[in-house]
This record gives sequence, structure tokens and C-alpha cells, in this order.
Amino acid sequence: MEYKAPVEAYAGVVREVIIGEGRKSLKIGGENILPLHFFDQGSNANPARFALEVLDMEPQDWPEHLIEPFKDVISEPIKWAKKCQDFAVDAVSLYLVGTDPAGKDTPADKAAALVKEIAEAIDVPLIVYGSGDENKDAEVLPKVAETCNGMNLLIGPVLKENYEVVGRAILEHGHTAIAQTPLDINLLKELNVKLSKFFPSDRIVIDPLSSALGYGMEYSFSLMERVKQIGVITKDNMAMMPIIANLGDECWKTKQAKESKEQGLLWEGITALSLLLAGANILVLRHPVALSLVKETIGVQ
Amino acid sequence: MLETVIIGENIHVLARAVSTAIRERDSKVIQDLAKAQAEAGADYIDLNVGPMKKDTEETMQWLVNTVQETTDLPLSIDTMNPVAMEAGLKACQKRPLLNSASGKTDSKEQMLPLARKYNCDVVISVMTDKGMPPDVDSKIESIMDTVAYANELGIPNEDIWVDPIILPVSTAGEGQRFAVACLEFIKILEDVLPGVKSTVGLSNLSNGVPSELRPLLNRTYLVMLGKNKLYSAIADPLDKELMSLVKGEIPEICELVYKIMDGEDIDLSVLPQRKLEYVKTAKVLMGETLYSNAWLES
Repeated sequence: MEYKAPVEAYAGVVREVIIGEGRKSLKIGGENILPLHFFDQGSNANPARFALEVLDMEPQDWPEHLIEPFKDVISEPIKWAKKCQDFAVDAVSLYLVGTDPAGKDTPADKAAALVKEIAEAIDVPLIVYGSGDENKDAEVLPKVAETCNGMNLLIGPVLKENYEVVGRAILEHGHTAIAQTPLDINLLKELNVKLSKFFPSDRIVIDPLSSALGYGMEYSFSLMERVKQIGVITKDNMAMMPIIANLGDECWKTKQAKESKEQGLLWEGITALSLLLAGANILVLRHPVALSLVKETIGVQ
Repeated sequence: MLETVIIGENIHVLARAVSTAIRERDSKVIQDLAKAQAEAGADYIDLNVGPMKKDTEETMQWLVNTVQETTDLPLSIDTMNPVAMEAGLKACQKRPLLNSASGKTDSKEQMLPLARKYNCDVVISVMTDKGMPPDVDSKIESIMDTVAYANELGIPNEDIWVDPIILPVSTAGEGQRFAVACLEFIKILEDVLPGVKSTVGLSNLSNGVPSELRPLLNRTYLVMLGKNKLYSAIADPLDKELMSLVKGEIPEICELVYKIMDGEDIDLSVLPQRKLEYVKTAKVLMGETLYSNAWLES
């Protein structure tokens, strides 16, 4: 008897989300199969995309081997962002850590001006993360959205505490939102439901938080896997958004990554690869060598 | 019509008014609560006194007598403390419900003999020394062991009210799986243990859910469990709509939920808001749509 491999066809399709504008734009998501299930019926419209991190200030606690690739530009965010492009990134991700009220507390307009300069200086789309302080982000991110009107940046984190003010600014100025919830599928769905009441679902990217290898990565893995199952298999409207895995910081704050370069590269590389398997659509890494390790492993240039 | 036996949960030591009233021997607060539940149609009054560390026997006696002064309803003595349990059972005029025993060694050795001694009904949960059995098969396995043990002590199946233990549906990832497992458990219980009755702590389902949304979850789940022949529930009889469902005053809601459970296609676009909410809730509790606190909004 001839063997016939079972082939699944699924009901849901992850929304295709466009970030960036014009020639700088990039598509993520769009798959109607589970991650890497190329043997099933359907397709993965857009391959996984990769971005590298840039901070808006000189990093405080990075080990030497992490700073090294960007040594000459580490205190100049614009040059740093441009240099990321030497490593064949699909996007650059800027972290406005300097706006944190517990740190430098950079004012919103200053941060927004920097975002605009960087967005204009690079040839790939820009992702922008606020400090994560819900109140300060509610000032900073709307200002960023306004200053960069129409550039379709991918902006976050949009949190349950500030989704209305941040979400509306992102929407009004033609950007895309990162909806972030802390490792909980029910909260993740709730935020998407609430945000979707006034915000188009095809302009939302999910950030479920990406824990590092050895520090809870399996939670992130299970959660991303679940989001894909619920979205693609059971067609839950509020889970059919692409996922961003924002893992650089989590990996490089581990003792192991700080201890040695080799460990650090593997730590970040393995975490990225695992979350890619779980279904992440765009991954943000910190070290260009870790990025090239991952790309080499999955066979892309 | 559900006809579920309702064990009124409102005399509960976690409620501050109740714990204060017990401590200060304020009989009016307790009697008002008992009366309100009796008038609302409760079949039993649960007396949840917690672990009860001091003046155990005297307090229990006072509480049982205080309640019996205002109502003829039978009582459910709800404590983990065997001394308090015995004092409570002893003071009951009507055949009480021992709430509860389990498959844990202490419980088997200390609680189950009390059920035999006082010839009362007894709630037996699926809990064992290993903890909470995670799925339907292990729940069934553990309850069969414990019921067999109870039978050997001379407690017949007819006096046993099995409790599968309901957990909060909002527990990330797991909650819905538990809700589905309990539905299945109740459905097959009669086949594996003929003659036993069943009960659940209904309100625990909605623990952690915004308070205005809790009753809808509890009501819908009671209807769903009712379809699977649940015998009784420890629940809030002061929830009017819940009691209306139990008394068969809104059969159209029950029928609608039953249809959803049977997988019938229903045109949601013509349903009024209230029915639509029951449908959405039933789908969450069947594990068909992912739970979130915004489950009614999507």
C-alpha cells in the first residue's frame, strides 16, 4: 500500500502586517500554517525577519565583547543604527532607555527628534520601544508618533495601562503598534480585544515577552506556540497577529552571556532559534555575530 | 429545568462580616444571611468556618444552633478541622452534609468515619495525597479509590457527593482545560460510580475575574454542568438569575446553552444581547474560544 503523508489545512491566517513606508517597507506574518510546517497545506508568506538593537544612549552594563562590534559608534545612536545595516538586517530596533524616569529621564521631544533622525538616516524600517515606564511612555510614544508622522514605525510597548493614549497616537499618525503583555495568553487576548476596538487589527504586532534560555524561555516558547495554534488552527481573531521576539536584552543580562563572548553568542543564538521555532515573525537581537549564527543555521543570507 | 440542589455559600468565614459576627457571637448577622438564602430558595445552608483554631467545639455549636433557630433547612458543615466537624454534625437536627472529605490519608482516617458515625451525607473530593489530579482519567481513578474506601467503612454510594474541584477559569492557559475536564467528569461519573451524587464549588470558577462578570460565568457553567446531570452546587442563592435558571423560570437560556454544547449551528446575529452573552460564555467554558477578561467583547 502506498503511504500517503497526512496533510493538514488550517482555517486561520496570521495577518500580514507592513512596517515602514515606501521603499523602506517590510512585510511580516501572513502565514496560514504553523511555524515551519511547510509540509502542511498553506504557505508562509513572509520569512522570519531580523533586526538589531540600538540604544538612545551609551549602554551602561554591557560586557566588552558585546560592545565590540559597535565600539566606534556606541555613543552615537544614529551612526550605530546605520552601522547595523552592514549586517544585513531587515529592520533596526531603537530602545529609548534614556527616557526612563528612573534613569536619564530624557524629555519626550528630544527622544522623538532622535527617532526621526534615525528613521531618516537608515534604509530599513525602524522599530521603536519606549522605556517601558507606562506613564513616561504615554508622553514619549505619542510624541514619537507625531514627530514621525506617516513613517509607519513599529512602536511599542502598548500596555494595558496606556493603550488608549499610546494606541490612538500610533493610529492617528500612521504607525503600527506593538501590544505587549507579560507572558499570559488571557491578558494578551484581552489587550488585543480592547485595542482592536479602535485600532485596526492588521496593524498590531504581539509582544508576549521573550525570556532567555535558562531564564524562562520555555514560557515564552509555549505562549508563542499557543498564540499560533489558537490563531492558525482555531482561527481566533484576536490571536492572528504576527509576533515580535524582543530577546536581546533578556539574553545579554544573563550571567552566562556576560561571562564570555562564546557563551553570550550561543545564548542569544539559541534563544532566537527556539523562539523562531515557536513562531516569532520578527526577532530583535543585540549581537551581529549571534544574528549571523542564526541566519546561517536556518540557511538565509 | 436544572433542579440542582443549591447549597447556599454565603455564611463563609472569608467574608469579613461573617468572621466578625462569629467572633462576637452576633447572631443577627448570621441569621439574616441564613434567612435570606432560605427565602431565595437554597436547599442547604453551608457553614464554612475555615480551619477554626480556638474554642472550636463551642463556636461550632453556637453557629449551628444560631442558624437552626431561623431555618429548617439542613446544614452543610464546611471545615477541614475534624473536631469542629464532629461538633457541628452533633448539633444538627436534620441530616447534615459533611463538607468535605477527600482521598488524603488524614481525611480518610478522620473525616470519613464521622460520616459513618453520624449517618450523614458526605462530600468527597478527588484530592489525594499527591494533590489535585490534573485530568479526567486521574480524577476518576482517584475518586474510585476513595469511594471504595468509604464503601468499606459502610458509607453507601447514595450518601456520597463527589466533588471534582473546580478551579478558576482565568488561570493562564490551564483554567479552561480544567473547566472542560470537570464537565466531562460530571458527565461520566454516573457510569463509573452508579448511585453517587455530585457537587461543585461553583463560584471558584470565576475567582480572579472582574466581579461584575463573575455571575455570568457561574450561571452558564451551572447550566452546562446541569446538562451533564450535576446533582448539587455550593453557590450563591442570592444571585436571582442563577436561582431562576435552577427553578426552570428561564428554560430558553438552558435550551440555548444545551444547543451550543451539542454543537448545533446557531444564528448569533439574531440573538438578543443577554442570550449572546450566554453563548459566548458557554464557548469559553467548552474551551472553544480562548478566555480573556474581555470575552464578551470580542
